Amino acid sequence: MVRILSAAVAATLVATAAHAQIKVGVTLSLTGPAASLGIPEKNTIDLMPKKIGGLDVTYIVLDDASDTTKAVTNTKKLITEDKVDVIIGSTTTPNAMAMIDVVAEGETPNISLGGSARIVDPANPKTKWVFKVSQHDSLMADAIAVHAKAAGIKTMGFIGYNDAYGEGWLVEMKRSAETAGIKLDPIERFNRTDASTTGQTLKLMAANPQAVLIVGSGTPAATPHKELMGRGYKGRIYQTHGVGNSDFLRVVGKDGNGSFLPAGPMLSYESLPDSNPIKKVAKEYITAYEAKFGPRTTFGGHAWDSYIVLDKAVPVALKSGAKPGTKEFRAALRNALEGTKEVVGVHGVFNMSPTDHNGLDNRGRTMFMIKDGKWTLATK
Amino acid sequence: MDVSIAALLTQDGLTNGAIYCLIALALVLVFAVTRVIFVPQGEFVAFTVLTLAAFEQKQLPGTVWLSLALGVAAASADIVAHRREPGRMLRAIAGSAVPCLLSALLVWGVFATGAGWAFQVIATVVAVMAMGPAVYRVAFQPIATAPVLTLLIVSVAVHFVLTGLGLLFFGAEGARISPFTTVSFTFGSINVSGQSLLVYAFTAGLVIAMAVFFKVTLFGKALRATAANRTGARLVGVSPNFAGRLCFTLAAAIGAASGLLIGPITTVYYDSGFLVGLKGFVGAIVGGLASYPIAAAGAIFVGLVEAFSSFWASAYKEVIVFTLILPVLLWRSFNTTHHEEE
Amino acid sequence: MKPRVLVAIVVALVAAAPLVAPPFYVTLLNYIGLYSLVALGLVLLTGVAGQTSFGQAAFVGLGAYTTAVLTTQYGMSPWVTLVIALAITLVIGYILGIITLSMGGHYLPLATIAWGMSLYFLMGTIESFGGFTGITGVPPVSFFGMALTQESHFYYFIWLVTLLALWCVANLLDSRPGRAIRALKQGTTMVEAFGVHPGRMKTAVFILAALLACLSGWLYAHLQRFVNPTPFGINQGIEYLFMAVVGGAVSVWGAVLGATLVTLLKTWLQDLLPKLLGEAGQFEIIVFGVLLVILLQHAREGLMPFLQRFVPSPKRALPEAGDRLQHRSMPAAGEPVLEVNKARKTFGGLVAVNDVSFDVKAREVVGLIGPNGAGKSTCFNLISGALDATAGSIRFMGQELTKASASAISRMGLGRTFQHVKLVATMTVVENVALGAYLRGTKGIVASALKLNRADEAAALAEAMRQLQRVGLAEHAHDPAGSLPLGKQRVVEIARALAADPILLLLDEPAAGLRYAEKQQLAQLIKTLKGEGMTVLLVEHDMDFVMGLVDRLVVLNFGQKLAQGLPEAVQADPAVREAYLGV
Repeated sequence: MVRILSAAVAATLVATAAHAQIKVGVTLSLTGPAASLGIPEKNTIDLMPKKIGGLDVTYIVLDDASDTTKAVTNTKKLITEDKVDVIIGSTTTPNAMAMIDVVAEGETPNISLGGSARIVDPANPKTKWVFKVSQHDSLMADAIAVHAKAAGIKTMGFIGYNDAYGEGWLVEMKRSAETAGIKLDPIERFNRTDASTTGQTLKLMAANPQAVLIVGSGTPAATPHKELMGRGYKGRIYQTHGVGNSDFLRVVGKDGNGSFLPAGPMLSYESLPDSNPIKKVAKEYITAYEAKFGPRTTFGGHAWDSYIVLDKAVPVALKSGAKPGTKEFRAALRNALEGTKEVVGVHGVFNMSPTDHNGLDNRGRTMFMIKDGKWTLATK
Repeated sequence: MDVSIAALLTQDGLTNGAIYCLIALALVLVFAVTRVIFVPQGEFVAFTVLTLAAFEQKQLPGTVWLSLALGVAAASADIVAHRREPGRMLRAIAGSAVPCLLSALLVWGVFATGAGWAFQVIATVVAVMAMGPAVYRVAFQPIATAPVLTLLIVSVAVHFVLTGLGLLFFGAEGARISPFTTVSFTFGSINVSGQSLLVYAFTAGLVIAMAVFFKVTLFGKALRATAANRTGARLVGVSPNFAGRLCFTLAAAIGAASGLLIGPITTVYYDSGFLVGLKGFVGAIVGGLASYPIAAAGAIFVGLVEAFSSFWASAYKEVIVFTLILPVLLWRSFNTTHHEEE
Repeated sequence: MKPRVLVAIVVALVAAAPLVAPPFYVTLLNYIGLYSLVALGLVLLTGVAGQTSFGQAAFVGLGAYTTAVLTTQYGMSPWVTLVIALAITLVIGYILGIITLSMGGHYLPLATIAWGMSLYFLMGTIESFGGFTGITGVPPVSFFGMALTQESHFYYFIWLVTLLALWCVANLLDSRPGRAIRALKQGTTMVEAFGVHPGRMKTAVFILAALLACLSGWLYAHLQRFVNPTPFGINQGIEYLFMAVVGGAVSVWGAVLGATLVTLLKTWLQDLLPKLLGEAGQFEIIVFGVLLVILLQHAREGLMPFLQRFVPSPKRALPEAGDRLQHRSMPAAGEPVLEVNKARKTFGGLVAVNDVSFDVKAREVVGLIGPNGAGKSTCFNLISGALDATAGSIRFMGQELTKASASAISRMGLGRTFQHVKLVATMTVVENVALGAYLRGTKGIVASALKLNRADEAAALAEAMRQLQRVGLAEHAHDPAGSLPLGKQRVVEIARALAADPILLLLDEPAAGLRYAEKQQLAQLIKTLKGEGMTVLLVEHDMDFVMGLVDRLVVLNFGQKLAQGLPEAVQADPAVREAYLGV
């Protein structure tokens, strides 16, 4: 034990004494309710190259247990103890929101993986330091509204998580549906570990809207889905990009066939045309991921995109002459991230600006359909 | 709301209530014998489903590692406790650690040989049952005489460990298993699956069996006596450690059976146990942690309230469920005489 | 080392920490301070008063949400919202307290889980509270225009509040209401016999714990500057209980120790495990749980009592005995004190006490005896107020007792002991005796917490010492009551009853379970008290013990009065001989 400890201490000392290197702090929800999102993100961190812009990179990964207090503590630790140059994370919207003040005070750029557009709301001056590589919920909600409208859908039911994810989606979907002239009713909520959603399903069935949107992440989103199908619902079912993993397909089984979801193009890069630049990038990442950790998930893809934008921004920041580990370097990196232009990631193409710290456009969303238990590009 | 919706909601409430009820029964059992409020009971249910689901997907169940870890922990506890008496050490290990270690082997064997469904079910049930005595040995036996509050906190710590291990070995996503029977019956407009009838029948049978066992049989009474008076129980020939191991084995067995029953109807996650356990706990407390039939009624009440409130106001479901419990608790509290501890 | 020195060292360490510790440790210490406040409430509520609560996190949320909503949406000053938050908590705590604290047994912990869950989901569902996503932009607290935005500044504020709270709670526990709170775990009968209203006392403690939690929440909101429901869920409620129990829920410092241990352990595991296992994340909770199980297996009362064993408690000087409290006017010899007239008690069809009449006059020692099952204890309970008579009358100093509560009866001047000794084992002998003088003091919770009770407190302890000298146990004053042998514990009970300045002393089977020599000493003590002019009613099973001790005997059998009169005459009564000896 003592020997391991002293070895660990020695290793740390050596590491700190080494030449200029970049430190990337990561806080993710590896345990708790958002663990199914956080774990593939962490796996992806393991895949990240140990050199960026010719410099060694150290990744310091912390678990925030899906808790905002812990996310803030982790962020403070990464900034004050580890003196990282950039922070990736956290996984969920509330955690990401809680971190905004801390990274602004610590003047450390933050690449967030949460869903809500509020994380990088340009109206909040503190978000100057925050970037976000996952698609805004609003972008995805618009995709669903447009797709549903094209199919002549006028009424849509909603059943979503009784948490920040469901809440964020509800706000965006209400807005998108209104724009598309779709009536969103009834609105139901459920919990991730609910054993059944019969009550909500019966209410949806009684109103019998032309489509139902299910907002959940991973396998729990299959519970209302299966229940709707089991009770003979004939309308169209939409899911969100939160279900973009193979576990969902496994649990939802054949009940999933024929349902739609908007997601980043990576989910089924195989079906993209070769002309799409995202295909090559996604293939590279997914091949590496699947060889090591099993089937792809869209969440892992967000983590990879954070690496891709960093890989482009770090060399730009280094050109300013600032040394990693300094306040100047962090500011330069922030500027470089803000200047991200036409960077191709696995979820889309990033074009950031002072008023847009996300930078994904319509190339960042693709409508998929589940067919024979597989993701396929959706037709109308 | 029309009659058919009410009937469907009642059916859903009964099914969920039955699940809570099974947890409540195990909680009452464990508390009545050991004074431990066994928070991790739900984990046994989850582990059963996740193990069987792994078999069905032709993956090696994480249970192998879980059982191995628990077995090694139990064995080390016995080795430390009886380091000067090799004979007793071996006997103790045989009672606590060996079942776990053997069941790890069994699960691995069933997976490696690709044995059929029946073997998978048996291996799963055996493995989960073997976890019961190991958990008791490692966590609770050394502090069996501690205050209820300390036991409860240890119980919460064990819950942390087991869900942590569950996440590590089974992953964060949920699973379902294939049903025992696909038969279904139609009563008027209501369609009842054979699987949910199995759930009802098993739950009702278990309530009666437990009530009879502890009220009528001498052995049952002796087991209950160990909670109140460990020395007295030893005098009439029941070793408190044996009683503890036995009731944890039974609790794990109930957990495994619950898992087999509900796995096909609902998706189960590594951390499903907590909220389900909490609602089972409500039932158990309504029964005063003593009465099996009242605990069962309490659990089913929770299930029904939940079903109806998820129809009327799904966003406020938990608020309604947990607020409605308060008057029930008040009423139960006023109708139970509290004996002041002398 | 004296405890005072230890406290001084802790305070000095706290003051110096931000100057020497790395900034991240200041962050951690801030959280430790916040958690300590909540755990402190739990020490009081759960550890001392014996009421387990899982719902404290909801009160933290109440404090945090009140200030977050009012400051961000209505632009109020945090100082105003602090008052509002505390007021809201007071009201909600009072309502929840009277509803849930009346539940006994396991109903209470579950009830706390239930409203904890309800409040959590309510916080998330109300849209104007920011929903599950939360509220950003909570303003910092300012002192005279200086905003506490820096963590190291806020640190001093948090720890000032925390140390003040510790000081107040420690003062409280070492005072008149504090002794009553510490006695609550013994059940309600005992405290009621000294005029304590257990329900009110529990509610007060519950509110106090809720206020401490609310204060912590208010600080949290202004430290974090962001509020959402997750930190106030049931998991966090469990974690607070964890801290209190792990630290040792019987001592105020246990709260700080528990909060520190849990917080630091998690941080260190987060640092250490990836280095040992080469893998981040999922192992922390597992190792954390395992370590806690091991810790509680070796220190089941928590860490503080475990550590206290290594710090020998210093020899304290005995408090000075004195007679500074008000006395009642005592009746003159021969005046009737207790008149029992056709008292009757039935349980269903069973008549336990059947129209029994007898009386006790001032400065008399009367024995109420009878074989097992004669109805002595029921009769005793009717007089002490533990049971209400079905019919008949019992008058004490001319006032009717039959419908009076136990605490009203004690107020009238009736002091009692218990058949099964009910001392607070962890309190010292002198503290136990001082509890007897509860009704002769006046200072309440607030005055005691702020140490505005010095004169009151000194007088109560002086009185307790005086009674201990009277019964001959002065040298045991600072021993824990639980460490004395049974015979001496009985005597401590008598001293405690005497401290209430009673007109009539009711002794419930004082000789039961005593050895011969102990009985002799007890008899001697009762004779001495009689010589001092005390009026005593002695309920006893042991006839030999009461002979030569009492002026008169009343004999019960099968719920009825069998005989009464002078001891020798009663002993000679054939009916009594038959009842006792079967001849």
